[in-house]
Amino acid sequence: MSIEIDQLSFTYSTSDTKVLDNISLSIPQGAFFGLVGPSGCGKTTLARCLNGLIPHFHPGTLEGSVKVHGLDTQEHPAHELAQKVGLVFQNPENQLIAPTVERELAFGPENLGVPRNEIRHRVETLIQQIHLEDIRDKAPYELSGGEQQRVAIAAVLALQPDILVLDEPTANLDPLSAFEVLELLAQLNRDMRLTILLIEHRLELVLPHIQELVVLAEGRILTKGPPSQVINKPTVAKVGVAVPPIIQLLKRIKHPNIRAATDLSVDQAVKTILQELRK
Amino acid sequence: MIFFDDVWFEYEPNQPVLRNLSLQIQPGETVALMGENGAGKTTLAKHINGLLKPTRGTVYLEGVDTRKTSTAQLARKVGFVFQNADHQLFADTLQAEIGFGLRNLNFSKEEIDERVNRFLTLFELTKYQDQSPFLLSGGERKRLALASVLCVEPQVLILDEPTQAQDALQKQKLLDFIASFRKSNHILLLVTHDVEFAVKAVDRIVVLSQGELIADGTPRQILSNLSILERARLLPPQLTQFAHQLAEHEPRFPTDLLTLTEAVKAVNQILRRSR
Amino acid sequence: MAAIFEAFRFKQKHTFMHGLDPRTTFFMAVCFSVLAMLFLELLPLLIIILSMLPFVLLAKSIGQWSRSLKGLAFLAGFILIINSYFISFSFAVSTVLRLTALMTAFSIFFLTVHPDDFAQALIEMHIPYEFAFAFSMAVRYVPTIATETETIRDAQMSRGLELESGNILQRVRNYIPILIPVIVSSIRRALQVAESLESRAFGSTASRTSLYGLKLRKRDFALMIYSLLLLLLGLYVTFILRTMLPSPLPDWFFWTFPF
Repeated sequence: MSIEIDQLSFTYSTSDTKVLDNISLSIPQGAFFGLVGPSGCGKTTLARCLNGLIPHFHPGTLEGSVKVHGLDTQEHPAHELAQKVGLVFQNPENQLIAPTVERELAFGPENLGVPRNEIRHRVETLIQQIHLEDIRDKAPYELSGGEQQRVAIAAVLALQPDILVLDEPTANLDPLSAFEVLELLAQLNRDMRLTILLIEHRLELVLPHIQELVVLAEGRILTKGPPSQVINKPTVAKVGVAVPPIIQLLKRIKHPNIRAATDLSVDQAVKTILQELRK
Repeated sequence: MIFFDDVWFEYEPNQPVLRNLSLQIQPGETVALMGENGAGKTTLAKHINGLLKPTRGTVYLEGVDTRKTSTAQLARKVGFVFQNADHQLFADTLQAEIGFGLRNLNFSKEEIDERVNRFLTLFELTKYQDQSPFLLSGGERKRLALASVLCVEPQVLILDEPTQAQDALQKQKLLDFIASFRKSNHILLLVTHDVEFAVKAVDRIVVLSQGELIADGTPRQILSNLSILERARLLPPQLTQFAHQLAEHEPRFPTDLLTLTEAVKAVNQILRRSR
Repeated sequence: MAAIFEAFRFKQKHTFMHGLDPRTTFFMAVCFSVLAMLFLELLPLLIIILSMLPFVLLAKSIGQWSRSLKGLAFLAGFILIINSYFISFSFAVSTVLRLTALMTAFSIFFLTVHPDDFAQALIEMHIPYEFAFAFSMAVRYVPTIATETETIRDAQMSRGLELESGNILQRVRNYIPILIPVIVSSIRRALQVAESLESRAFGSTASRTSLYGLKLRKRDFALMIYSLLLLLLGLYVTFILRTMLPSPLPDWFFWTFPF
C-alpha cells in the first residue's frame, strides 16, 4: 500500500472542533484516486496529513495514524516524507519562488544537498517528461496558469516521490489550462506509475481518469468506491458534490441499458447511445 | 444604459488590451462576459465604474461620459465584487464592513443602520454581526463581500469570477441570488469562464478574444458554436460536446441544446425513432 | 521625486558590467563610497564622480543615472539652501557632490546585479542561507504584492473610497482600508509559501547545494584590485599628504568658492 490512513482524527491547536473524524483509507501503489467534498469538509487538512505538514508544520491533536510507504508521518521529519509524497497546492503564485523554471525544478534537490550533476540530471529528465523545453528559461510571471501548475508539479517531482497529492490544483485556472493539468496527471499515472490523490471540484474532467472516488463531508468519509457507483448516490449530490451533466443525462433516459451505463465521459456516453441505436 | 463607443485601451503605448470595442447593455439584462485569460474581460469591466478610462473612444453610463466622473461617484450606481473577497475585507466587525460603502457614499445614519441589518439578514450573517470578518469561513467571506457591495443597491452589478473555487451548493445559492436579482430592472454583468454556470445564469453572452468582441448573442447561439469557443479558449458545456459528437453519427440530432431537459427529450426522441 | 529611484532599478542588459560577479560590483561600490566620504574638497570629489562615470557608461545606463540626478535636484536644492545659510556655499556644494558620488557608486551595483544573483553572492560569502533566502523572497514577491495592492485599491475605490479627499490626517486614514487587506493577504501568502517550501524539504540540511554557482574571473579580480588601489590612494592622500605641513598637494586641490 502506498498510503495507509488508519482511524485518523485531527484538531488544530487553535480550535476545539475535530476537522477530521476517524478517517480510514488505503490507497494502493499506482492508483489514481479522486477526493471530493463540500467546502470546509476537511479535504485540505487531509492533504496536509499526508506529507507531514500535519503535524510538523501545523500543530494539533492527531489520533490514529498515517503511514506512507510504511513510514509513520508522526515519526519522520517533513523533509524525509517530502521524498515519498509530493504535495501540490492551489495557487501557483505561492509555489513558484525561483527566477526561472529550471531553477525552480532544482530548488527541491538543492534543499536536500543533492550533488550538482545529479540535480542537473533530474532537472533535464523532468523538463523532457513534462514538456517544459520551451519555457525552461522563463520567469513565473511569464507563464500561463496551466504552465505554472505544470512547473509546480515538476518542482515537487524533483524530490522523486512516487506519490502525488494535489489540493484543488485547477481552482485558479481557466478551463483549457485545467484540462492540460489533468492530462498531465493522467500521463504521470499511466507512464510513470505515480500514485495520485487528486482533490477537485471539477469532476467532469476528473471522473474518467480515477479508479476510486472518495467523498468527504464534515470530516468523515461519507462514501467511497468506483466513481460510477459513488457519483450516482443521492447522498453525494445532497452534500454539494456536482454531478456532471452527462451523467445526469444518462440517468434520466428511460432506456434500461442506458440508465444502467457506468459511463463517465462524453465519449463513453455517445458510444453507449449509438450502440443502442444500432440495435 | 451602458454604452461602449469604439473603445480602445492600452496599459502601455502601442499594446492595446481592448480594441474597437462597441457594446450596449440595457437595463434588465443579465450578461456573461467570457473569453480566455488576458482577453480583456476584467479590463472591460473596470471601464464601467471608471477604474479605467478609455485611451480612445468613450464609455457612457446612463448617458454620462465616465471620464467626467470619478470611481467614487460611480460607486453609487455600479457595484463591483472582485474575484477575491479578501481583497476587500478590512473592518473590525461585519457591521462596519457592510457600512463602509454606505458611509463613503454619505448615506444617513438611519439609512445605514437599516441597510446593514437588512443585508446581514438577507445573507444569513446576522449571528456574526459583531465579529471580525477574518474569522468567517471562505464561503461566508464571499457572501459578506457581496453583501457589502449590494447594500448600496447599485443599478449595475459586476461579479468577477464568482464561481471560482465554489462547491455545488454555493454555486446553487449564487444562482438563486442571481435569479432574484433579475427581478429588478438592473444590469448584471458576470465575468466568468464557467460555461456550465453561464448557461444557467444569463440570457446574453459577450465573448472577447485578444481585446476584441468576437461574439454577442444568446447562450444557445454562443455555446453551441464550437469555433467561437475554441477561439476564446473555452471548453464547451458537456451537453454541447455530447450533442455535437452524437450529431456526427446521427445528423438529425440537435446541436444547439443547452439544458438537461432538452437533452433528455432529444435522446428519448431519437431512441423512439430508431425502433 | 520618484525619478530618484531610476538609478537603482535593475534592468536585464548584456554589458560588461552586467556580466561581472555581483561581489565585484558590490566591492567597487563600497570602495568608491568610502573614497567619496574621505574628501570634502570640491575638485577631488568631482574627480571621483567622473571616474565612476565610465562604469555607468559601460553598463549602458547613463540615461537612468541622469534621470536619477534630476530626481536628486529637489533634495540637492534643499541641501544647498540650508547648508549655505548655516555654513558656506562651498560646504553645501561639497555635500551635494558627496551625495551624488554615493548615489553613483551604489547605482552601479543595483543597476547591474539581479536580486537573485545578489542573494547567491550573499550565500557564497557565507551569510547564513536563511537571511540570503529571506532577502531574495522579499524581492521576488515585491511585484506580486504591488499588483495586489493595486487590485485592493481598485476594490475599495469601487466601494466609494476617495483617496484624495480631506486634510493630511484624513488622507492617511483613507489608506487603512487598503493597508489592512494588503497586510492580511501578505501574511496568508507567506504561510502558503512556507507550506510549499516545507513540502520541498527546505531547511533539511545545512550543506545545501546549488545548480548554478558564481565564479570570479580575471576581469573581476582586475576591477577589484583597481578599486582597492584607488581607495588606498585616497587614504594615502587624506591621512598622509593632507596632514603634512606644508602640504605637498597642489593648490587647485583645495580650491573653494570664496563664500
